Amino acid sequence: MKRENIFSVFLAACLVLLVLSTGCTDQQPPAAQSGEVKIGVIASMTGAASTTGKDIWQSAELAADEINAKGGIKINSLGKSVPIRLIQGDDESTREGGMKAVSKLITQDNVDLLVGGYSSAVVSAHQSIVAENKVPYIISGASSSSVSHRNDLDTSYMFFHRPNTDDSGEASVLFIEEVVRPAVNAKFGFAAERPFRVAVIYQDSPFGKGQLDAVKNVIKARSLPIEVVAEEPFKMGESDFRTVLTSVKAKNPDMIYSVTFLNELVPLTQQARRDVNFNTLIMAIENNDDPDYYKGVGTYGEGMVMESRFSPYAVPKGSTEVATTQFLSNFDKKYGGFAGMMGAATYESIYIAKEAIEKAGTVEKAKVKDALSNLAMPQMMEIMKGGTIQFSPDFRESKFDLYVVQLSMDQASGEPRPEIIWPENLEARAFVVPDWYTPGTS
Amino acid sequence: MDVSISILSQVAFWGLYSGCIYILLATGLNLIFGVMKIVNFAHGEFLMLGTYITFFLFVITGFNPYVLLIGSVPVLIVAGVIVERLCFRPILGTGKLNEIFISLGLIYIFQNMVALIWTDEWRSMKSPFSDITIALGPVQLPLDYLIIIVVTAVILVLLHFFLKRTPIGKAIRATSQNRKGAMLMGINVEKINMLTFGIGAGLAGAAGTLWAVSGQVFNPYMGSIPAIKGFAIIILGGLGSIPGAIVGGLAIGMVENFTAFTLGGSWKDAVSFILLIIILVVKPTGLFGEDEE
Repeated sequence: MKRENIFSVFLAACLVLLVLSTGCTDQQPPAAQSGEVKIGVIASMTGAASTTGKDIWQSAELAADEINAKGGIKINSLGKSVPIRLIQGDDESTREGGMKAVSKLITQDNVDLLVGGYSSAVVSAHQSIVAENKVPYIISGASSSSVSHRNDLDTSYMFFHRPNTDDSGEASVLFIEEVVRPAVNAKFGFAAERPFRVAVIYQDSPFGKGQLDAVKNVIKARSLPIEVVAEEPFKMGESDFRTVLTSVKAKNPDMIYSVTFLNELVPLTQQARRDVNFNTLIMAIENNDDPDYYKGVGTYGEGMVMESRFSPYAVPKGSTEVATTQFLSNFDKKYGGFAGMMGAATYESIYIAKEAIEKAGTVEKAKVKDALSNLAMPQMMEIMKGGTIQFSPDFRESKFDLYVVQLSMDQASGEPRPEIIWPENLEARAFVVPDWYTPGTS
Repeated sequence: MDVSISILSQVAFWGLYSGCIYILLATGLNLIFGVMKIVNFAHGEFLMLGTYITFFLFVITGFNPYVLLIGSVPVLIVAGVIVERLCFRPILGTGKLNEIFISLGLIYIFQNMVALIWTDEWRSMKSPFSDITIALGPVQLPLDYLIIIVVTAVILVLLHFFLKRTPIGKAIRATSQNRKGAMLMGINVEKINMLTFGIGAGLAGAAGTLWAVSGQVFNPYMGSIPAIKGFAIIILGGLGSIPGAIVGGLAIGMVENFTAFTLGGSWKDAVSFILLIIILVVKPTGLFGEDEE
């Protein structure tokens, strides 16, 4: 075949594909006409954060199935209950992927509401699309305060069902000051006033920088005897931390405060103890409280600590215990495994969406937004301030009671398991300085 | 910070280890470019495939992962031969744009195929030697990394003898030097293309095995960044030059790690490419590239 002919065939094929794809991208009808509530779920189904993305999507599915099994969402303006239909928006763990997914969900799938969002960097990139189209968005990730506190665009349709970096940074620093520092001082006979040396290894992203700033701000604001001796950034998706850890080790910290995604924390922990022979405590933050972390980190996770708000293996005693156990059991039945913290937050977000739409009595976006602003529903699995899920009037953030877990080896599973060690009202046992631990300086 | 000789040696050692992975990847890429003059952006996917083949064989056989090189490298050689035969041979000589689009398409095909088979969760495996360290002077070196360095050296020596001493190796070198001349001398250059592509993929597969054995995590999308670095290395070392790929790989490994040590981890990629730009400004053909007439 001559080259001109090949070109003609290629051109014709492109035209056919274009026509077909135009047919495929017709706008979907709104909920009132289609007899269902369409919720777009923004999850990183592919790319660096895909493990967490799967957790988000499956938990959203579980919540929607439960609600649909009970008849769906009651909409007064329609005079009936309608089922939820979830539509997946894969942000591909990238800013561009997130923008593409959100645009499609809003303009083509015509969703009534958005739920999900994980990485702060990814969410910050598609916030302008949500603001422009005024679609209610319950964000269960994107913990950086720079995402929720921004004033360069209208965030009034965005509701943040997660603690921000200031909240989790504060909880972590208070735990270090109240528990770790005295325990290390007692074990090694250090003076009470000895400054505790912390190295921060953080993802070079709004999430990582937000946590770093929060830690430094809390230490400064409260004049705590904690010294940040190293600030080491790394690129999102990094899997080789040996040199960064060698550099940090040379600064003799008493503890590493790590701000990572799940796929980064596993190699960081393993390489610290196994390759760099760095026998220090690593404190991680809540987004890593996931079964895949415990499975991946193995024996090297023993003794490590993590700030959390939902743990698959450490259920706090009290008012949220029944709901949490039920959720974990249902998730296990449906998917054969345990959900992580991001899954739990997204599961709750679907129920928050249901509550808001029922309160609004319509899927009209402005009215759903108002209902979310005035929401006050009982806490579900995560322990909320005052026992109620509600969004703050300033930045529309829900407020959590956070806790800290410590890992110890479980011989039966061959994996480490967490137990709550802080605060006192939730603790299952006291914090233990591991035998292998070596402080930074004498 | 207490910067001592032992700490600097440790960083140099991490650089040497990273360099070994890069060398294997870039040597394969350079071999392919030298013979076929094609740009295969999907080369990093062979590394990714190498990690998964190793992982799969490790799970089903439980053999020592280093022994699994015997399995992963041949599988990747066959994969390389198939890719050359089905994807690159039909478009050889039709322009660089076709090569680029074919290789970009291959990236998506390989990534999705692996995600379909093994899911796209991050995975890692544990070497039986992962808890053993060797004291070398003031530095504690994990045994796995020493083995990786030795294995890389053995592979390079074998490749050297293959290219210098065997008839097929000589035919590969002849085709690389002068394709038309090689054809006139009766060398079946299409067969050589196929074989070279297979060997290149096999070297990337070996890099994948060593990546997995070293305890680094992997998922179906992990091949792109090493591939970009592989290209930077062959440009740095000189297109088509195997010594250039070795020196370039080591240089990038060292620069990356010393940059992470001094400036922080988020700078390591940037500094590698700054080095590349400097070399290209000073010597546009790369460190070992030959000047064109």
